[in-house]
Amino acid sequence: MVGTPVLFIAIPLLAAFLIPLLGMIWKELVRIVPGLVLTYLLILAVNLLVHVLAHGPVVEVIAGWVPPIGINLVFSVFSGFLVTLMIFLGLLVWAYSYRFKRNVDYEPALKYFLMLMMLITGSVGIVLTGDIFNMFVFIEITSISGYGLTAFYKGRDSAEASFKYVLLGSVASTFLLLAIMIIYSQLGTLNMADIANKIHLMNPTLKIVSYIFFVTALGIEAEIFPLNGWAPDAYAEAPGPVGAAFAGIVVKASVYAIIRYTFTIFDLSGAFNFLIIIGMITLIVAETAAIRQEKLKRMLAYSSIGQMGLVLVAFGFGTEEGVFAALFLMLNHAIIKSLLFFSGSYLVYNSKCKYIKEVNGMSKFLPVTSLLFALGAFAIVGLPPFAGFWSKLSVMTAAADSNMILIMVLVLMVSVVELVYYLRVVNRIYFFKKETAIEPKKPTFNALVVMIVLGVIILAIGFYPDVVTGVLHKASASLMDKSQYIHHVLSLRQ
Amino acid sequence: MKKVLVILLLATLGYYVAGTYFDIGFGQPHFIKGLLPVKDIYLAQTVKSLKVSNAVTSIVVNFRGFDTLGEVTVLFLAVTALGSILYKKMNVLGERSVLFSSSSIVTSGSKLLFPAIILLGFYVFIHGHLSPGGGFQGGVIIASGFLLMLLAYENYSVSHTALSVVESLAGITFAGVGLLGFMHGGTFLQNFLPTGVLNHLFSGGIIPIIYIAVGFKVGAELTGVIYTVLHEKGESNG
Repeated sequence: MVGTPVLFIAIPLLAAFLIPLLGMIWKELVRIVPGLVLTYLLILAVNLLVHVLAHGPVVEVIAGWVPPIGINLVFSVFSGFLVTLMIFLGLLVWAYSYRFKRNVDYEPALKYFLMLMMLITGSVGIVLTGDIFNMFVFIEITSISGYGLTAFYKGRDSAEASFKYVLLGSVASTFLLLAIMIIYSQLGTLNMADIANKIHLMNPTLKIVSYIFFVTALGIEAEIFPLNGWAPDAYAEAPGPVGAAFAGIVVKASVYAIIRYTFTIFDLSGAFNFLIIIGMITLIVAETAAIRQEKLKRMLAYSSIGQMGLVLVAFGFGTEEGVFAALFLMLNHAIIKSLLFFSGSYLVYNSKCKYIKEVNGMSKFLPVTSLLFALGAFAIVGLPPFAGFWSKLSVMTAAADSNMILIMVLVLMVSVVELVYYLRVVNRIYFFKKETAIEPKKPTFNALVVMIVLGVIILAIGFYPDVVTGVLHKASASLMDKSQYIHHVLSLRQ
Repeated sequence: MKKVLVILLLATLGYYVAGTYFDIGFGQPHFIKGLLPVKDIYLAQTVKSLKVSNAVTSIVVNFRGFDTLGEVTVLFLAVTALGSILYKKMNVLGERSVLFSSSSIVTSGSKLLFPAIILLGFYVFIHGHLSPGGGFQGGVIIASGFLLMLLAYENYSVSHTALSVVESLAGITFAGVGLLGFMHGGTFLQNFLPTGVLNHLFSGGIIPIIYIAVGFKVGAELTGVIYTVLHEKGESNG
């Protein structure tokens, strides 16, 4: 045995409680310890993923009570892949912001690193847990860190953004609890596998109401169209690396939750079409909204919302190819959107309003950052030699396999919109003259390293997609195999 | 017109949702027949194998102890986020907001009550596994004692460092006990101490230890929240 899933939660929590004490001894430890924890967890995640690929899912029992009595964590190929991805991104976000507020202010730095680590832990917990109420607890952990990080700069706008997030987040929690209440009142259990096993006994009306409540609650966190009012503000007002963490980690966890409820727990036949419809609406609305944005980070935020819509569409095909395409999209989106947020925040670093027109001519001052931003822009649009191409292609083939030609047409049309607004920014960076007197800010050494690592990964996946497709295929197979999941969890004996 | 439409839509939705919830029939045995709900297992095992007389405590700390660890973290994070939003540069505390100063009856009365409140708080969380109450309730009672002192005395101060040390140590105890269970029994938060005799103070294995840690943590955190919010006046951030 190489380690167990519970360490993904226990070690960061222990570290979070330790960090204030360690900070009293040596202030630098506040920065170092989260990095050490995330590195250890990344090694653990990779080891476990290798183990799971060979031996099948690991189900971890907590407090010695087997499911359905106690809480359990499930590290299958599907959840393991997402956990590895999230922790890897979390490590990059940490490395990027290592010098954040260094030698300036100790107390805010302590809180920043604590909240960042808890944001990652909460999202990992959402993915690992096999219990619906436990998932609620982790969603709370994630969103409260999110509120704190959004309001971090203490200005008027960030307070407003954070307040919006708090309001919508509380609505999400309420709906989630209402949905959990219906399930528990009918089936008397909170364990996902146990619920999935007994869901056919439930009254259909109650089943539909609780599913809708779940999707409403998780849709707020996953930025599905009518519920995503908080997202653009939060992305724009939070510190740069936090935007990347939201796009790459938090949203992924919420999408995972929706998918787990749709694929494993509920057996509603119309749910897949429902996913396609809400995904399509989200995609179209977000991409058309992105083209109208004047601020860089808001544009990236809308693009991120649109990508999540596309992920939901791909999941909504309900086939293994669809799941594969969705997972590939999630992986690419996590990597590319993080790169865009990282490099984008340096392009508008010293500007107050972060307007797109302020990136004019930045390529002369920040050549590497500009190049990496352009790389990210080309990749996310789906131009051939980069990573984004393969995921868009797999969405197209999955749609074609499911005979959804209209969806293909719409997705391609939306891609053109995407191309327009990304190329507009790249055009401004390279071919416009610098007009404003804003001083460009050179990226710090670790930020530069992180961005280059991401750029190399994008190119690597672009040229050799085979390095990831094997894992992705196994992950999608593990999601589709519902009976196997139930069997693995419920076969444990005291 | 738009508002009327919205109200109509909400009313229709609300009617159907409320109907669904009325159908559940709270207060009656409403689980689908033939299923074994986990609550029966909880009630049976609480006395049989955990030797705890308060079923709520056994569920909160043992069966679903992982959730409680999460909830404790939520509170910790809420305090952290509040501290980061209300943080003042250069460690200068903002001015205390005082509406009117308290009379000598209030000040001496609170001095008298304060130890009793703290004692009650400790009693509630130490006996969490025997009588109603527990770590969260006891912690809140302790914080209310500090609130009384802060309201009665304008210059009453609580050491921030001490609060954060207590908070951290309590959190470490919770997670550490969980990890010890992991090393001894194989699963996180597993009970590795003898459970003792039902209704004795020293019984229930790790449950009282965790609940005492929770009590300290909640008390320290809520006191910290009250203290931070009371000192919010002064330097404006907007």
